[in-house]
Amino acid sequence: CAKKPAPGTEMAGEAPVVSESPYQQEVTGISEQAVSEAAVAGQPGYLQGEVAVPGLDRIFFEFDQFTLSEQARATLAQNAAYMKANERVQVRIEGHCDERGSDEYNIALGERRALAALNYLVSLGVPASRLSIISYGEELPLEPGHGESAWSKNRRAEFKALR
Amino acid sequence: QIEIRAPGQQTIPLALTEFLPLDQGARPEIAREINEVLAWDMDLSGLFNLVDPAAFLGDAKRLGLISIDVDFGEWRMLGAQSLIKGAYSLRGDELVLEARLYDVVNRRLLTGRRYVGKVDDLRRMAHAFADLVLQSLTGEAGPFNTRIAYISNKTGFKELYLMEVDGHDPIRLTDHRAIVLNPDFSPQGKELIFTSYRGRNPDLYRKEIYSGSEARISNRPGLNVSGRYHPSGQEISLTLSKDGNSELYLIGTDGSIRRRLTDQWAIDVDAVWSPKGDQVAFVSDRQGNPHIFIMDAAGGSVRRLTSAGKYNSTPDWSPKGDRIVFSRMEGGRFDLYTIRPDGSDERRVTFGPGNKEHPRWSPDGRFIAYSSDEAGKKAIYIVRADGSGPRRISPAGGDCQHPAWSSQW
Repeated sequence: CAKKPAPGTEMAGEAPVVSESPYQQEVTGISEQAVSEAAVAGQPGYLQGEVAVPGLDRIFFEFDQFTLSEQARATLAQNAAYMKANERVQVRIEGHCDERGSDEYNIALGERRALAALNYLVSLGVPASRLSIISYGEELPLEPGHGESAWSKNRRAEFKALR
Repeated sequence: QIEIRAPGQQTIPLALTEFLPLDQGARPEIAREINEVLAWDMDLSGLFNLVDPAAFLGDAKRLGLISIDVDFGEWRMLGAQSLIKGAYSLRGDELVLEARLYDVVNRRLLTGRRYVGKVDDLRRMAHAFADLVLQSLTGEAGPFNTRIAYISNKTGFKELYLMEVDGHDPIRLTDHRAIVLNPDFSPQGKELIFTSYRGRNPDLYRKEIYSGSEARISNRPGLNVSGRYHPSGQEISLTLSKDGNSELYLIGTDGSIRRRLTDQWAIDVDAVWSPKGDQVAFVSDRQGNPHIFIMDAAGGSVRRLTSAGKYNSTPDWSPKGDRIVFSRMEGGRFDLYTIRPDGSDERRVTFGPGNKEHPRWSPDGRFIAYSSDEAGKKAIYIVRADGSGPRRISPAGGDCQHPAWSSQW
Protein backbone atom coordinates (compact mmCIF):
# COMPACT_ATOMS: atom_id res chain seq x y z
CA CYS A 1 0.00 0.00 0.00
CA ALA A 2 1.36 3.40 -0.91
CA LYS A 3 2.59 5.19 2.17
CA LYS A 4 1.03 8.60 2.93
CA PRO A 5 3.82 10.99 1.85
CA ALA A 6 5.63 12.31 4.92
CA PRO A 7 5.71 16.12 5.01
CA GLY A 8 8.71 17.57 3.24
CA THR A 9 9.27 14.79 0.71
CA GLU A 10 8.54 15.71 -2.93
CA MET A 11 5.40 13.90 -4.06
CA ALA A 12 3.46 16.77 -5.70
CA GLY A 13 3.31 15.95 -9.39
CA GLU A 14 6.16 13.41 -9.26
CA ALA A 15 8.86 16.10 -9.34
CA PRO A 16 12.29 14.46 -9.84
CA VAL A 17 13.53 12.84 -6.68
CA VAL A 18 15.68 15.35 -4.87
CA SER A 19 18.61 13.04 -4.22
CA GLU A 20 19.43 9.46 -4.92
CA SER A 21 21.63 7.80 -2.33
CA PRO A 22 24.99 8.90 -3.82
CA TYR A 23 26.65 6.07 -5.64
CA GLN A 24 30.33 6.50 -5.22
CA GLN A 25 32.52 6.06 -8.18
CA GLU A 26 34.43 2.92 -7.41
CA VAL A 27 37.53 3.55 -9.46
CA THR A 28 38.42 0.00 -9.41
CA GLY A 29 41.85 -1.15 -8.49
CA ILE A 30 40.58 -4.24 -10.25
CA SER A 31 42.71 -3.78 -13.30
CA GLU A 32 45.90 -4.34 -11.28
CA GLN A 33 45.19 -8.03 -11.46
CA ALA A 34 48.26 -8.75 -13.57
CA VAL A 35 49.18 -12.14 -12.13
CA SER A 36 52.69 -13.11 -13.23
CA GLU A 37 53.33 -16.81 -13.53
CA ALA A 38 56.78 -17.19 -12.06
CA ALA A 39 58.78 -19.50 -14.28
CA VAL A 40 60.87 -21.10 -11.61
CA ALA A 41 63.86 -22.99 -12.96
CA GLY A 42 62.78 -26.64 -13.04
CA GLN A 43 64.76 -28.73 -10.57
CA PRO A 44 65.06 -32.52 -10.69
CA GLY A 45 61.92 -33.95 -9.17
CA TYR A 46 61.92 -36.46 -6.38
CA LEU A 47 62.10 -39.39 -8.80
CA GLN A 48 65.60 -39.12 -10.11
CA GLY A 49 68.53 -40.48 -8.18
CA GLU A 50 66.62 -43.30 -6.45
CA VAL A 51 66.49 -46.82 -7.76
CA ALA A 52 64.46 -49.87 -6.79
CA VAL A 53 66.86 -52.78 -6.28
CA PRO A 54 65.96 -56.49 -6.57
CA GLY A 55 67.53 -57.28 -3.20
CA LEU A 56 65.40 -54.66 -1.38
CA ASP A 57 61.74 -55.65 -1.35
CA ARG A 58 58.79 -53.57 -0.23
CA ILE A 59 56.69 -54.40 2.85
CA PHE A 60 52.95 -53.87 3.43
CA PHE A 61 50.73 -52.60 6.29
CA GLU A 62 47.14 -52.86 7.52
CA PHE A 63 44.82 -49.83 7.18
CA ASP A 64 45.76 -46.94 9.51
CA GLN A 65 48.52 -49.16 11.07
CA PHE A 66 52.30 -48.96 11.17
CA THR A 67 52.98 -52.19 13.05
CA LEU A 68 55.22 -54.75 11.26
CA SER A 69 53.55 -58.04 10.33
CA GLU A 70 55.43 -61.36 10.44
CA GLN A 71 55.73 -61.23 6.67
CA ALA A 72 57.13 -57.68 6.85
CA ARG A 73 59.73 -58.75 9.43
CA ALA A 74 60.84 -61.64 7.22
CA THR A 75 61.24 -59.30 4.23
CA LEU A 76 63.14 -56.76 6.34
CA ALA A 77 65.51 -59.52 7.47
CA GLN A 78 66.30 -60.25 3.79
CA ASN A 79 66.75 -56.53 3.13
CA ALA A 80 69.16 -56.30 6.07
CA ALA A 81 71.14 -59.24 4.72
CA TYR A 82 71.33 -57.56 1.30
CA MET A 83 72.61 -54.32 2.82
CA LYS A 84 75.23 -56.15 4.87
CA ALA A 85 76.40 -57.90 1.71
CA ASN A 86 76.56 -54.56 -0.13
CA GLU A 87 78.37 -52.27 2.25
CA ARG A 88 78.37 -49.15 0.08
CA VAL A 89 74.60 -49.09 -0.55
CA GLN A 90 72.73 -46.17 1.09
CA VAL A 91 69.01 -46.81 1.33
CA ARG A 92 66.12 -44.37 1.44
CA ILE A 93 62.94 -45.85 3.01
CA GLU A 94 59.72 -44.37 1.55
CA GLY A 95 56.51 -44.50 3.61
CA HIS A 96 53.22 -44.72 1.64
CA CYS A 97 49.49 -44.96 2.44
CA ASP A 98 46.32 -45.80 0.53
CA GLU A 99 44.23 -42.90 -0.70
CA ARG A 100 41.72 -42.96 2.09
CA GLY A 101 42.13 -40.44 4.85
CA SER A 102 43.37 -36.90 4.83
CA ASP A 103 46.64 -36.27 3.04
CA GLU A 104 48.26 -34.60 6.02
CA TYR A 105 47.40 -37.45 8.37
CA ASN A 106 48.59 -39.94 5.77
CA ILE A 107 51.91 -38.15 5.34
CA ALA A 108 52.45 -38.48 9.08
CA LEU A 109 51.34 -42.12 9.03
CA GLY A 110 53.62 -42.84 6.06
CA GLU A 111 56.53 -41.46 8.05
CA ARG A 112 55.60 -43.71 10.97
CA ARG A 113 55.75 -46.72 8.63
CA ALA A 114 59.15 -45.76 7.20
CA LEU A 115 60.44 -45.19 10.75
CA ALA A 116 59.15 -48.61 11.91
CA ALA A 117 61.06 -50.27 9.04
CA LEU A 118 64.20 -48.22 9.80
CA ASN A 119 64.17 -49.07 13.50
CA TYR A 120 63.74 -52.77 12.74
CA LEU A 121 66.63 -52.76 10.21
CA VAL A 122 68.82 -51.00 12.78
CA SER A 123 67.84 -53.66 15.33
CA LEU A 124 69.12 -56.25 12.82
CA GLY A 125 72.49 -54.51 12.76
CA VAL A 126 72.21 -52.16 9.78
CA PRO A 127 73.97 -48.86 10.71
CA ALA A 128 71.43 -46.04 10.94
CA SER A 129 73.86 -43.79 9.04
CA ARG A 130 73.14 -45.82 5.87
CA LEU A 131 69.39 -45.25 6.13
CA SER A 132 67.14 -42.23 5.58
CA ILE A 133 63.33 -41.90 5.41
CA ILE A 134 60.75 -39.89 3.53
CA SER A 135 56.95 -40.04 3.56
CA TYR A 136 54.80 -39.52 0.47
CA GLY A 137 51.51 -40.25 2.25
CA GLU A 138 48.97 -41.15 -0.42
CA GLU A 139 50.67 -39.20 -3.22
CA LEU A 140 52.44 -42.09 -5.01
CA PRO A 141 50.10 -45.09 -5.24
CA LEU A 142 51.61 -48.28 -6.65
CA GLU A 143 48.13 -49.24 -7.86
CA PRO A 144 46.08 -46.19 -8.93
CA GLY A 145 42.70 -47.96 -8.68
CA HIS A 146 40.12 -47.79 -5.89
CA GLY A 147 39.01 -50.65 -3.65
CA GLU A 148 40.80 -52.95 -1.21
CA SER A 149 42.90 -54.78 -3.86
CA ALA A 150 44.54 -51.46 -4.84
CA TRP A 151 44.59 -49.98 -1.34
CA SER A 152 46.33 -53.02 0.19
CA LYS A 153 49.14 -52.68 -2.38
CA ASN A 154 49.54 -48.99 -1.62
CA ARG A 155 49.91 -49.31 2.17
CA ARG A 156 53.63 -50.01 1.94
CA ALA A 157 57.21 -49.03 2.60
CA GLU A 158 59.64 -49.01 -0.33
CA PHE A 159 63.44 -49.33 -0.14
CA LYS A 160 65.36 -47.31 -2.74
CA ALA A 161 69.15 -47.44 -3.17
CA LEU A 162 70.60 -43.94 -3.39
CA ARG A 163 73.13 -43.27 -6.14
CA GLN B 1 18.25 -7.73 7.15
CA ILE B 2 17.82 -11.32 6.14
CA GLU B 3 19.67 -14.18 7.83
CA ILE B 4 20.36 -16.58 4.99
CA ARG B 5 21.82 -19.42 7.05
CA ALA B 6 18.70 -21.38 6.11
CA PRO B 7 17.99 -19.91 2.71
CA GLY B 8 15.20 -22.30 1.83
CA GLN B 9 12.44 -20.43 3.57
CA GLN B 10 13.12 -16.79 2.81
CA THR B 11 14.17 -16.37 -0.79
CA ILE B 12 13.58 -12.93 -2.30
CA PRO B 13 12.02 -12.74 -5.79
CA LEU B 14 14.73 -10.95 -7.81
CA ALA B 15 14.40 -9.58 -11.34
CA LEU B 16 17.87 -9.59 -12.92
CA THR B 17 17.75 -7.58 -16.16
CA GLU B 18 20.43 -7.64 -18.87
CA PHE B 19 22.67 -4.58 -18.77
CA LEU B 20 21.95 -2.15 -21.59
CA PRO B 21 24.41 -0.17 -23.75
CA LEU B 22 25.04 3.26 -22.15
CA ASP B 23 25.82 4.92 -25.43
CA GLN B 24 25.50 3.65 -28.99
CA GLY B 25 27.57 0.43 -29.42
CA ALA B 26 25.45 -2.52 -28.29
CA ARG B 27 27.72 -5.48 -27.36
CA PRO B 28 25.41 -8.45 -26.62
CA GLU B 29 28.34 -10.66 -25.54
CA ILE B 30 29.25 -8.15 -22.80
CA ALA B 31 25.65 -7.95 -21.57
CA ARG B 32 25.41 -11.76 -21.63
CA GLU B 33 28.61 -12.31 -19.63
CA ILE B 34 27.62 -9.76 -16.96
CA ASN B 35 24.26 -11.51 -16.68
CA GLU B 36 25.89 -14.94 -16.48
CA VAL B 37 28.21 -13.88 -13.63
CA LEU B 38 25.44 -12.14 -11.64
CA ALA B 39 22.97 -15.00 -12.16
CA TRP B 40 25.57 -17.53 -10.94
CA ASP B 41 26.45 -15.47 -7.85
CA MET B 42 22.82 -14.75 -6.97
CA ASP B 43 21.93 -18.42 -7.32
CA LEU B 44 24.86 -19.53 -5.14
CA SER B 45 23.87 -17.00 -2.45
CA GLY B 46 20.65 -18.95 -1.82
CA LEU B 47 19.04 -15.58 -1.07
CA PHE B 48 16.94 -15.25 -4.23
CA ASN B 49 14.57 -16.92 -6.60
CA LEU B 50 15.00 -15.38 -10.04
CA VAL B 51 11.91 -14.01 -11.83
CA ASP B 52 11.76 -15.64 -15.26
CA PRO B 53 13.20 -13.13 -17.78
CA ALA B 54 10.67 -14.35 -20.37
CA ALA B 55 8.03 -12.58 -18.29
CA PHE B 56 9.87 -9.24 -18.37
CA LEU B 57 7.97 -6.33 -19.92
CA GLY B 58 9.01 -3.04 -21.56
CA ASP B 59 10.88 -1.60 -18.59
CA ALA B 60 13.49 -4.33 -18.84
CA LYS B 61 14.67 -2.68 -22.06
CA ARG B 62 14.71 0.84 -20.69
CA LEU B 63 17.75 2.43 -19.03
CA GLY B 64 17.01 2.92 -15.33
CA LEU B 65 20.07 4.30 -13.57
CA ILE B 66 18.03 6.50 -11.19
CA SER B 67 14.87 5.34 -9.48
CA ILE B 68 12.66 7.94 -11.16
CA ASP B 69 13.38 6.27 -14.52
CA VAL B 70 12.14 2.89 -13.29
CA ASP B 71 8.55 1.73 -13.76
CA PHE B 72 8.30 -0.06 -10.40
CA GLY B 73 4.62 -0.84 -11.00
CA GLU B 74 5.60 -3.15 -13.86
CA TRP B 75 8.03 -5.05 -11.65
CA ARG B 76 5.55 -5.31 -8.77
CA MET B 77 3.12 -6.88 -11.19
CA LEU B 78 5.73 -9.56 -11.93
CA GLY B 79 6.10 -10.23 -8.21
CA ALA B 80 9.68 -8.95 -8.01
CA GLN B 81 10.84 -7.50 -4.68
CA SER B 82 14.40 -6.74 -5.75
CA LEU B 83 15.49 -5.48 -9.17
CA ILE B 84 18.96 -5.29 -10.70
CA LYS B 85 19.44 -2.91 -13.62
CA GLY B 86 22.61 -1.65 -15.27
CA ALA B 87 24.45 -0.34 -18.26
CA TYR B 88 27.84 -0.71 -19.92
CA SER B 89 29.99 1.36 -22.25
CA LEU B 90 33.09 0.17 -24.07
CA ARG B 91 35.70 2.49 -25.60
CA GLY B 92 38.61 0.51 -26.94
CA ASP B 93 39.40 -1.86 -24.09
CA GLU B 94 38.19 0.62 -21.46
CA LEU B 95 34.99 -0.67 -19.84
CA VAL B 96 32.57 1.29 -17.68
CA LEU B 97 29.80 -0.55 -15.82
CA GLU B 98 26.88 1.15 -14.09
CA ALA B 99 25.06 -1.21 -11.73
CA ARG B 100 21.97 -0.60 -9.56
CA LEU B 101 19.98 -2.59 -6.99
CA TYR B 102 16.40 -1.37 -6.44
CA ASP B 103 13.86 -2.12 -3.72
CA VAL B 104 10.73 -2.56 -5.87
CA VAL B 105 8.23 -2.42 -2.99
CA ASN B 106 9.55 0.86 -1.58
CA ARG B 107 10.41 2.17 -5.04
CA ARG B 108 13.93 3.24 -4.11
CA LEU B 109 17.58 2.67 -4.93
CA LEU B 110 19.28 0.38 -2.42
CA THR B 111 22.80 0.56 -3.76
CA GLY B 112 24.66 1.46 -6.93
CA ARG B 113 28.21 1.47 -8.25
CA ARG B 114 30.11 2.68 -11.29
CA TYR B 115 33.05 0.43 -12.17
CA VAL B 116 35.84 1.66 -14.43
CA GLY B 117 38.46 -0.75 -15.72
CA LYS B 118 39.55 -2.89 -18.65
CA VAL B 119 37.19 -5.12 -20.58
CA ASP B 120 38.85 -8.24 -19.14
CA ASP B 121 37.97 -6.98 -15.67
CA LEU B 122 34.29 -7.46 -16.52
CA ARG B 123 33.79 -10.61 -14.46
CA ARG B 124 35.51 -9.11 -11.46
CA MET B 125 33.33 -6.01 -11.67
CA ALA B 126 30.18 -8.15 -11.83
CA HIS B 127 31.36 -10.27 -8.88
CA ALA B 128 32.16 -7.09 -6.92
CA PHE B 129 28.59 -5.85 -7.49
CA ALA B 130 27.18 -9.23 -6.45
CA ASP B 131 29.15 -8.86 -3.17
CA LEU B 132 27.58 -5.42 -2.77
CA VAL B 133 24.06 -6.79 -3.35
CA LEU B 134 24.56 -9.23 -0.46
CA GLN B 135 26.06 -6.42 1.64
CA SER B 136 23.01 -4.28 1.02
CA LEU B 137 20.45 -6.99 1.77
CA THR B 138 22.14 -8.90 4.58
CA GLY B 139 24.59 -6.41 6.03
CA GLU B 140 27.55 -8.56 5.01
CA ALA B 141 29.40 -8.57 1.69
CA GLY B 142 29.50 -11.79 -0.34
CA PRO B 143 32.74 -13.68 -1.17
CA PHE B 144 32.18 -13.70 -4.93
CA ASN B 145 35.12 -11.47 -5.78
CA THR B 146 37.64 -13.49 -3.78
CA ARG B 147 39.92 -16.27 -5.08
CA ILE B 148 40.33 -20.00 -4.48
CA ALA B 149 43.75 -21.65 -4.60
CA TYR B 150 43.90 -25.40 -5.25
CA ILE B 151 46.15 -28.26 -6.31
CA SER B 152 45.80 -29.84 -9.76
CA ASN B 153 47.84 -32.61 -11.45
CA LYS B 154 46.86 -31.46 -14.94
CA THR B 155 50.52 -31.15 -16.04
CA GLY B 156 51.36 -34.60 -14.68
CA PHE B 157 52.70 -33.04 -11.47
CA LYS B 158 50.69 -31.65 -8.57
CA GLU B 159 51.06 -27.88 -8.88
CA LEU B 160 49.39 -24.88 -7.20
CA TYR B 161 46.68 -23.01 -9.11
CA LEU B 162 44.45 -19.99 -8.50
CA MET B 163 40.93 -19.49 -9.83
CA GLU B 164 37.95 -17.22 -9.37
CA VAL B 165 35.12 -18.41 -7.13
CA ASP B 166 33.09 -19.60 -10.15
CA GLY B 167 36.09 -21.51 -11.51
CA HIS B 168 36.99 -19.01 -14.21
CA ASP B 169 40.47 -17.84 -15.18
CA PRO B 170 42.55 -20.71 -13.65
CA ILE B 171 46.20 -19.66 -13.39
CA ARG B 172 49.13 -21.99 -12.51
CA LEU B 173 51.31 -20.45 -9.79
CA THR B 174 54.08 -23.04 -9.33
CA ASP B 175 56.41 -24.98 -11.61
CA HIS B 176 57.96 -27.39 -9.07
CA ARG B 177 57.50 -30.64 -11.04
CA ALA B 178 57.25 -32.59 -7.82
CA ILE B 179 54.31 -32.69 -5.38
CA VAL B 180 52.74 -29.46 -4.07
CA LEU B 181 50.15 -29.75 -1.23
CA ASN B 182 48.13 -27.90 1.43
CA PRO B 183 47.97 -24.28 0.23
CA ASP B 184 46.75 -21.63 2.68
CA PHE B 185 46.11 -17.91 2.07
CA SER B 186 47.52 -15.18 4.25
CA PRO B 187 44.63 -13.31 5.92
CA GLN B 188 46.27 -10.04 4.89
CA GLY B 189 48.17 -9.84 1.66
CA LYS B 190 47.96 -11.76 -1.58
CA GLU B 191 50.34 -14.41 -0.33
CA LEU B 192 50.18 -18.17 0.08
CA ILE B 193 52.06 -20.89 1.94
CA PHE B 194 52.19 -24.50 0.73
CA THR B 195 54.17 -27.72 1.13
CA SER B 196 56.33 -28.96 -1.78
CA TYR B 197 58.60 -31.98 -2.34
CA ARG B 198 60.76 -30.03 -4.83
CA GLY B 199 63.71 -30.12 -2.45
CA ARG B 200 63.24 -33.92 -2.18
CA ASN B 201 61.55 -33.47 1.18
CA PRO B 202 58.14 -32.06 2.20
CA ASP B 203 59.17 -28.45 2.93
CA LEU B 204 57.11 -25.28 3.56
CA TYR B 205 57.23 -22.49 0.95
CA ARG B 206 55.79 -18.96 0.96
CA LYS B 207 54.84 -17.25 -2.29
CA GLU B 208 53.70 -13.68 -3.13
CA ILE B 209 51.14 -14.00 -5.89
CA TYR B 210 51.83 -10.80 -7.83
CA SER B 211 55.56 -10.63 -7.72
CA GLY B 212 55.75 -14.40 -8.08
CA SER B 213 58.64 -14.39 -5.62
CA GLU B 214 58.92 -17.61 -3.63
CA ALA B 215 60.89 -18.59 -0.52
CA ARG B 216 61.39 -21.90 1.26
CA ILE B 217 60.75 -20.96 4.89
CA SER B 218 60.93 -24.35 6.64
CA ASN B 219 62.96 -27.32 5.49
CA ARG B 220 63.64 -29.08 8.77
CA PRO B 221 64.31 -32.82 8.53
CA GLY B 222 61.13 -34.85 8.12
CA LEU B 223 57.73 -33.22 7.69
CA ASN B 224 57.07 -29.47 7.23
CA VAL B 225 53.36 -29.92 6.35
CA SER B 226 49.80 -28.52 6.78
CA GLY B 227 50.88 -24.96 7.44
CA ARG B 228 48.02 -22.60 8.39
CA TYR B 229 48.24 -18.84 8.95
CA HIS B 230 47.36 -17.39 12.33
CA PRO B 231 44.57 -14.77 11.90
CA SER B 232 47.19 -12.07 12.59
CA GLY B 233 49.00 -13.20 9.43
CA GLN B 234 52.27 -12.92 11.35
CA GLU B 235 52.59 -16.54 12.46
CA ILE B 236 51.96 -19.99 11.02
CA SER B 237 51.01 -23.28 12.68
CA LEU B 238 52.90 -26.18 11.14
CA THR B 239 53.39 -29.92 11.60
CA LEU B 240 57.09 -30.76 12.08
CA SER B 241 58.48 -34.25 12.70
CA LYS B 242 62.09 -33.28 13.35
CA ASP B 243 61.67 -34.62 16.91
CA GLY B 244 60.99 -38.11 15.50
CA ASN B 245 57.22 -37.66 15.62
CA SER B 246 54.78 -35.24 14.01
CA GLU B 247 54.20 -32.34 16.42
CA LEU B 248 52.48 -28.98 16.03
CA TYR B 249 54.66 -25.87 16.15
CA LEU B 250 54.08 -22.14 15.81
CA ILE B 251 56.59 -20.47 13.48
CA GLY B 252 57.08 -16.94 12.17
CA THR B 253 56.45 -16.13 8.51
CA ASP B 254 60.27 -16.12 8.21
CA GLY B 255 60.26 -19.76 9.35
CA SER B 256 61.78 -19.18 12.80
CA ILE B 257 60.28 -21.40 15.54
CA ARG B 258 58.19 -19.44 18.07
CA ARG B 259 56.61 -22.18 20.16
CA ARG B 260 55.99 -25.93 20.34
CA LEU B 261 52.27 -26.66 20.77
CA THR B 262 52.14 -30.44 21.23
CA ASP B 263 54.45 -32.92 22.91
CA GLN B 264 52.78 -36.29 22.42
CA TRP B 265 53.86 -39.60 20.92
CA ALA B 266 50.76 -39.51 18.69
CA ILE B 267 50.33 -38.07 15.19
CA ASP B 268 49.30 -34.38 15.53
CA VAL B 269 48.45 -32.60 12.25
CA ASP B 270 45.94 -30.27 10.53
CA ALA B 271 46.04 -27.42 13.06
CA VAL B 272 43.64 -24.54 12.30
CA TRP B 273 43.16 -21.32 14.28
CA SER B 274 39.93 -19.95 15.69
CA PRO B 275 39.14 -16.54 14.10
CA LYS B 276 40.17 -14.82 17.35
CA GLY B 277 43.45 -16.74 17.28
CA ASP B 278 43.03 -17.91 20.87
CA GLN B 279 42.32 -21.58 20.13
CA VAL B 280 43.55 -24.27 17.77
CA ALA B 281 41.59 -27.23 16.39
CA PHE B 282 43.76 -30.12 15.21
CA VAL B 283 43.72 -33.83 14.37
CA SER B 284 45.41 -36.36 16.64
CA ASP B 285 45.33 -40.14 17.03
CA ARG B 286 46.34 -39.91 20.69
CA GLN B 287 43.15 -41.80 21.54
CA GLY B 288 43.61 -44.47 18.89
CA ASN B 289 41.82 -43.22 15.81
CA PRO B 290 42.22 -39.76 14.29
CA HIS B 291 39.87 -37.33 16.04
CA ILE B 292 39.59 -33.58 16.27
CA PHE B 293 40.79 -31.86 19.44
CA ILE B 294 40.88 -28.24 20.58
CA MET B 295 43.63 -26.59 22.62
CA ASP B 296 44.43 -23.03 23.59
CA ALA B 297 47.03 -21.00 21.70
CA ALA B 298 49.73 -22.01 24.19
CA GLY B 299 49.04 -25.67 23.61
CA GLY B 300 47.26 -26.22 26.90
CA SER B 301 43.79 -27.39 28.05
CA VAL B 302 43.38 -29.96 25.30
CA ARG B 303 39.85 -31.33 24.89
CA ARG B 304 38.33 -33.69 22.37
CA LEU B 305 35.80 -32.14 19.97
CA THR B 306 34.44 -35.05 17.94
CA SER B 307 32.96 -37.99 19.78
CA ALA B 308 31.18 -39.84 16.96
CA GLY B 309 32.91 -41.67 14.13
CA LYS B 310 36.28 -43.39 13.97
CA TYR B 311 38.07 -41.14 11.50
CA ASN B 312 37.60 -37.35 11.69
CA SER B 313 40.06 -35.07 9.91
CA THR B 314 40.84 -31.74 8.11
CA PRO B 315 38.98 -29.33 10.43
CA ASP B 316 38.39 -25.71 9.42
CA TRP B 317 37.09 -23.03 11.78
CA SER B 318 34.34 -20.73 10.46
CA PRO B 319 35.37 -17.05 10.27
CA LYS B 320 32.18 -16.45 12.27
CA GLY B 321 33.67 -18.59 15.04
CA ASP B 322 30.46 -20.48 15.71
CA ARG B 323 31.10 -23.72 13.79
CA ILE B 324 33.89 -26.06 12.73
CA VAL B 325 33.61 -28.08 9.50
CA PHE B 326 35.46 -31.40 9.13
CA SER B 327 35.48 -34.56 7.06
CA ARG B 328 34.45 -37.89 8.59
CA MET B 329 34.92 -41.35 7.13
CA GLU B 330 31.82 -43.48 7.64
CA GLY B 331 31.46 -46.85 5.97
CA GLY B 332 34.56 -46.25 3.87
CA ARG B 333 33.36 -42.89 2.54
CA PHE B 334 34.13 -39.29 3.58
CA ASP B 335 31.42 -36.70 4.14
CA LEU B 336 31.44 -33.20 5.62
CA TYR B 337 29.95 -32.32 9.00
CA THR B 338 29.84 -29.10 11.00
CA ILE B 339 29.83 -28.87 14.78
CA ARG B 340 29.89 -26.17 17.45
CA PRO B 341 33.26 -25.52 19.11
CA ASP B 342 31.76 -26.93 22.34
CA GLY B 343 31.12 -30.23 20.54
CA SER B 344 27.35 -29.86 20.38
CA ASP B 345 24.87 -29.63 17.49
CA GLU B 346 26.72 -31.81 14.99
CA ARG B 347 25.14 -31.63 11.51
CA ARG B 348 25.90 -33.51 8.33
CA VAL B 349 26.53 -31.25 5.30
CA THR B 350 27.15 -33.53 2.33
CA PHE B 351 25.32 -36.62 1.04
CA GLY B 352 25.40 -38.94 -1.93
CA PRO B 353 28.31 -40.67 -3.64
CA GLY B 354 31.97 -39.69 -3.53
CA ASN B 355 34.52 -38.72 -0.88
CA LYS B 356 34.15 -35.12 0.24
CA GLU B 357 37.33 -33.85 1.90
CA HIS B 358 39.41 -30.80 2.76
CA PRO B 359 36.55 -28.41 3.56
CA ARG B 360 37.40 -24.69 3.73
CA TRP B 361 35.05 -21.85 4.73
CA SER B 362 34.49 -18.78 2.56
CA PRO B 363 35.75 -15.55 4.18
CA ASP B 364 32.16 -14.58 5.11
CA GLY B 365 31.39 -18.01 6.61
CA ARG B 366 28.35 -18.66 4.40
CA PHE B 367 29.90 -21.23 2.04
CA ILE B 368 32.27 -24.21 2.13
CA ALA B 369 34.65 -25.24 -0.65
CA TYR B 370 35.78 -28.88 -0.67
CA SER B 371 37.07 -31.61 -2.96
CA SER B 372 34.94 -34.53 -4.07
CA ASP B 373 35.47 -37.52 -6.38
CA GLU B 374 31.74 -38.16 -6.91
CA ALA B 375 32.22 -37.65 -10.66
CA GLY B 376 35.33 -39.87 -10.88
CA LYS B 377 38.27 -37.47 -10.82
CA LYS B 378 38.60 -35.22 -7.77
CA ALA B 379 37.11 -31.77 -8.33
CA ILE B 380 36.46 -28.66 -6.22
CA TYR B 381 32.85 -27.97 -5.17
CA ILE B 382 31.12 -25.21 -3.20
CA VAL B 383 28.15 -25.79 -0.89
CA ARG B 384 26.19 -23.46 1.41
CA ALA B 385 26.87 -23.80 5.12
CA ASP B 386 23.57 -25.65 5.65
CA GLY B 387 24.46 -28.20 2.94
CA SER B 388 22.12 -26.84 0.25
CA GLY B 389 23.10 -26.06 -3.33
CA PRO B 390 26.36 -28.02 -3.85
CA ARG B 391 27.95 -27.33 -7.23
CA ARG B 392 31.24 -28.08 -8.97
CA ILE B 393 33.47 -25.10 -9.77
CA SER B 394 36.93 -26.37 -10.78
CA PRO B 395 37.80 -26.61 -14.51
CA ALA B 396 38.04 -30.02 -16.20
CA GLY B 397 41.39 -31.72 -16.58
CA GLY B 398 43.29 -33.63 -13.91
CA ASP B 399 42.42 -34.15 -10.26
CA CYS B 400 41.74 -30.90 -8.38
CA GLN B 401 41.87 -30.87 -4.58
CA HIS B 402 43.05 -29.01 -1.45
CA PRO B 403 41.04 -25.82 -1.99
CA ALA B 404 42.00 -22.73 0.03
CA TRP B 405 39.73 -19.67 0.05
CA SER B 406 41.29 -16.19 0.09
CA SER B 407 40.06 -13.34 2.28
CA GLN B 408 38.77 -10.21 0.53
CA TRP B 409 40.76 -9.83 -2.68
